[in-house]
Amino acid sequence: MISCKHVNKNYATVRALHNVTISCAKGEVFGLVGANGAGKTTLFKILLGLVTADTGEIEISGEGSKKIGGIIEKPALYPFLNAHENVRLFAKMQNADSSSRAIEKSLKQVGLPLNRMDPVRNFSLGMKQRLGIAVALLNNPSCLLLDEPFSGLDPLGIEALKQLISDLVLRSQMTILISSHIIEVLSTICTKLSIIQNGEIVQSDVTSKILEGCTIGYALSGADIQKAAFLKQYKPVFRGDFAHVSASATEISDIIFSLSQQKIGITSCKPIFDLQQLFNPKRN
Amino acid sequence: MRRLLYIEAYKLFRQSRTFYAVLALLIIESIVLLSAYFQGTEIIDMVLSNLKDSFYFQGNLLNGNLIIYFILNSFWFHVPLLIMIIVSGMLTTEYEEKTVQTVFMQPVVKWKYVLAKYIVASLFASFLVLLLALTSFILSYGLFGKGDLIVYANGLTFFEQTDAFFRLVYAFLFGTLTLIFFSAVSLTLAVVLKETFKTWIVSALFLIVSTLLLKVDLSNEILNHIVFFKLNNTWQYFFNQEIDWGTITVNSLLIGFYTLITILVGLFLFQRKDIG
Repeated sequence: MISCKHVNKNYATVRALHNVTISCAKGEVFGLVGANGAGKTTLFKILLGLVTADTGEIEISGEGSKKIGGIIEKPALYPFLNAHENVRLFAKMQNADSSSRAIEKSLKQVGLPLNRMDPVRNFSLGMKQRLGIAVALLNNPSCLLLDEPFSGLDPLGIEALKQLISDLVLRSQMTILISSHIIEVLSTICTKLSIIQNGEIVQSDVTSKILEGCTIGYALSGADIQKAAFLKQYKPVFRGDFAHVSASATEISDIIFSLSQQKIGITSCKPIFDLQQLFNPKRN
Repeated sequence: MRRLLYIEAYKLFRQSRTFYAVLALLIIESIVLLSAYFQGTEIIDMVLSNLKDSFYFQGNLLNGNLIIYFILNSFWFHVPLLIMIIVSGMLTTEYEEKTVQTVFMQPVVKWKYVLAKYIVASLFASFLVLLLALTSFILSYGLFGKGDLIVYANGLTFFEQTDAFFRLVYAFLFGTLTLIFFSAVSLTLAVVLKETFKTWIVSALFLIVSTLLLKVDLSNEILNHIVFFKLNNTWQYFFNQEIDWGTITVNSLLIGFYTLITILVGLFLFQRKDIG
């Protein structure tokens, strides 16, 4: 479990965090959504002990010498060493098992090939992310913090990382905090979301509730979707086989039901978010 | 702590820049040897032209001991600069590549981690001096043979062959203390400045200013004997006619004290600073 209460942090004249309170239970995947410079990285650095908060309380429960592991922004590894050597070095550093078997187990856990012996500088960002997670997981922490883990990854890399995070939660009941500015990705893996804006948490709730509050419509795709005359009441904007409709969560169920009755197949249905509403919920 | 020392040494010797520094040192040494081989006799003749009218010189003055003395003079600038560049990089590259963040996301004690860097930096400086000493003795004696040493410092001084050997060995040994001090300074500068190029520039500036101030009279007898930049030439005292062991011991203790203070300042600042 991770919780922080009333955390404040100022840098010279800049207010980085103001009265931030979040909590994440065991086995939960918690998402922190915010624009660039909103304070996500500062909060994560504080939780990881890299930066000291001016005021506030932080509680991280867990056993052993390492309660929390993480990656801040990009995975920072020794570029002149290979994956095995990097994991071994960080394992030795914290008196964790640094035997070849333990290193191979760590690499396998994150799906890295064991036969890559070239320096990490040659690795793709996705592979570095996996290696960074392997290092973060050394010494079995009960919490994992991933700051912007999806930035710079291609769609395949994003899917693979999402799968890895889900596996970790299922296998070890780990508490995982993820920060990102890509709400579409976080909404598919996080059970709870907090929205941070200008160093303040502006809303915090279960993912479905947060999304419901800022969804202004849906992007539907399917052949012959333009033939669905009833969509007119939802102010549709058609682009080929795509239709953007202004509908609420309950209305979209009816729309899909009606489309299926008219034998119009739907190949995808994605929510469209009002980011202004997401980041400034008090506006309306 | 032993684990951290191993890790620092391992990282240092797995980076190509460390070997570039060793190579640079050997290149400097080779240039001195080649210059001496091709032009050494002319230079000696020029320096001794007046004396040769009045004295008879027996034996070869351009010998291994003189060449080692020439190489030893790289202690003034070249060797400390190389050491400061490599040693400061032990921390600045960690800041720039952000591996220092990854390190402190593990259960690692901050001051122990940096202390390991200071210790390995000191050992590395000693290793470079040992390498320089060994290669210069082997190559110089091998190429130029042994002989009496002639040194020009406040006038010409001659040392017999065996005496010269011991004086050169002592000079290397006590010169190492100064180089350890410079390595500690560069690491402390890295703690403060964090950036590689800034640290290099300030380290080079520190070295240049220290060397310049060495010759400046501070108009105070005590200050002239205890300020750190007045101690950097202690190894040169072995080439006075009489070795002043008292002054050399006091100077060495003072250099050790300044090194310790520099390290403590670095540890204190690093412990207090946020990472990131």
